[in-house]
Amino acid sequence: MRKKPTRESVTTIAPDGARHFLQPAIIFGPWWKARRAVAWLLIAFFAALPWIEIEGFPAVFLDIEHRHFHLFGTMLGLSEIWLLFFVITGWGFLIFATTALLGRIWCGWTCPQTVYLEHVFRVVDRLFEGDHVSRAKIDAQPWSEPSKLLRRGGRFIAYLFLCWAVAHIFLAYFISIPGLYPMITDAPLAHPAAFVAMAVATGVLFFNFWWFREQLCLIICPYGRLQSALIDDDSVIVGYDEKRGEPRGKPARDISTGDCVDCRRCVQVCPTGIDIRQGLQMECIACTACIDACDDVMTKLKRPTGLVRYASLRELDGGQTRLLRPRTVLYAALLVIGLIVATVAALRVQPAAFKLSRPPQTELYALSETSVANVFRAKIQNKDEIPRRFFISAQSAGTKVTVLNQSAGMVIAPLTELTLPLTLLVDRQDYRGEFNLILRLRSEDGAISLLQKAHFIGPDPRTLQK
Amino acid sequence: MTEDQDRDSQPVIMPHSYDGIQEYDQSLPNWWLFTLFGSMAFAFLYWMACFVTETAADDRVTLNAELDALEARQLAAVKNLDDATLWKMSRNTQTVAEGQAVYNSLCFTCHAPNLAGIKGLGFRLNDDLWVHGNTPTAIFNNISEGITFEGKPTGMAAQKVLGTGRIAAVTAFLLSTQKEGSMKTALRKDEPSQLNP
Repeated sequence: MRKKPTRESVTTIAPDGARHFLQPAIIFGPWWKARRAVAWLLIAFFAALPWIEIEGFPAVFLDIEHRHFHLFGTMLGLSEIWLLFFVITGWGFLIFATTALLGRIWCGWTCPQTVYLEHVFRVVDRLFEGDHVSRAKIDAQPWSEPSKLLRRGGRFIAYLFLCWAVAHIFLAYFISIPGLYPMITDAPLAHPAAFVAMAVATGVLFFNFWWFREQLCLIICPYGRLQSALIDDDSVIVGYDEKRGEPRGKPARDISTGDCVDCRRCVQVCPTGIDIRQGLQMECIACTACIDACDDVMTKLKRPTGLVRYASLRELDGGQTRLLRPRTVLYAALLVIGLIVATVAALRVQPAAFKLSRPPQTELYALSETSVANVFRAKIQNKDEIPRRFFISAQSAGTKVTVLNQSAGMVIAPLTELTLPLTLLVDRQDYRGEFNLILRLRSEDGAISLLQKAHFIGPDPRTLQK
Repeated sequence: MTEDQDRDSQPVIMPHSYDGIQEYDQSLPNWWLFTLFGSMAFAFLYWMACFVTETAADDRVTLNAELDALEARQLAAVKNLDDATLWKMSRNTQTVAEGQAVYNSLCFTCHAPNLAGIKGLGFRLNDDLWVHGNTPTAIFNNISEGITFEGKPTGMAAQKVLGTGRIAAVTAFLLSTQKEGSMKTALRKDEPSQLNP
């Protein structure tokens, strides 16, 4: 049974709240082919990244266990987590800007949900259960029907296998292929946590693609909801040209009808179950299936295509799309500022980290017969693939500070971290009260120079006078 | 498709109107309600299990149990902490490394990172002269309880800070520089420290 879409209710939710499953038809139009090319490119990219090796590590390897994040030959530690701010905001501004200009282009072309559902799992649907008519028939059959058991069972197993494969690729991002391989070949009990993570990921993916599908876009996805605030009359959306199409009707009978012949092809192909002719709707993921469907029919009728097309609401209303609007300028400006700051920040990341702290439970300062001592704990991380010798020196205006035991420096192995005590001494004669100083970490080869501010604590100098 | 069927019932508009805004009376998706009532049921069961019937351990109980177990292990360790055990620990590279890490976070302040001592602050610890007792248990007790030297309290009294396990590890680290049977007693150490600034 097909439901007639209305603007008042969500097609995929029945009046009693039950799930209404859609069996959308497929249209192999030019937009669909272009989207498929993009989808396969994205899937290939996603699957290839853990396999590509750059400077001895996978192109993307988020090693949570060791808190090393390898990105295209650069290793970032937790100390660079602040860069994530630029990644997230940059991503946000990019989506804001593209949505203001091109509507939900992300949803239709690049969102993993669409990419996998439309170009992997619906392909499996067609393979096992045929076209939308055949699938609807299978839906209606009882489970006692052997052919339903066979076809749906086959689809079930294919889904399970695909979800399992995607879950493995996903996990490879966090434990790398060399880390993943023994987990695949060993018994499940040898790596219980990884096994459970994999089972849960597979299960979640399976549930999503088998049962949940467009509900994710309609109800859960926050971006789907943000779009109403991000789209305005000048954003390019997938829209129906009402002026040209209406009044709809059979062409032969009445000369006064518009170009829409009410064939309902656009409704049949819609993966979220809406009627695009009812205007811009929350459910529309801008997947272009209705464009392909309508263009196909219009070509057959020898009428111009584009009755449903990429256009802004203003354009569909007979006006001109304005590209320069306050919001596009603002989003673009924020995006550019973010990009500049992110680039500068990323270029300043050095292949080492240097952090200072005061060791807990120790005296703030210590007095010896000849000097005042302050103790710090230095944390030095060598994030490069080569061992380096590091030196720590103190710089301060006016007071001579000695760093104990630092003349020979220390060699830190690649990708390791060293925590070492740092004792700073100031001669009693030189001591003039508390002061600020700068500790400098530099590598022997001069490639790295990191500064940390510190505060030297001590008694009132008058109490030291004999 | 012409055989499209209209909905069994059109959504009803609720009688109320706020600021001119009306709403339809529509069902929420069943799966959504399932997550809502599911989390309520879970909260109730969790509350019953952890706080009413106490059949399941909540986080606080689990944490306390872990702390108790830790303390028990430490107490059990103290019972067996004689000189022989401490010597044995000092030959275990892992224990020594653990002890060195603790030393480097705390003790080095006065005794210097390389154990050479800092004049006026802390004694040298890498020679064979010991002022406050020349046995492993004496060193352990001195770290644990602190020392009174020339009428003044000195040392860390680190029992509360470090706990038995880590104090034993630090002791093992100090002993790793010593030879069994050649630790001598000294009244005080007046030799100039290597790290005399």
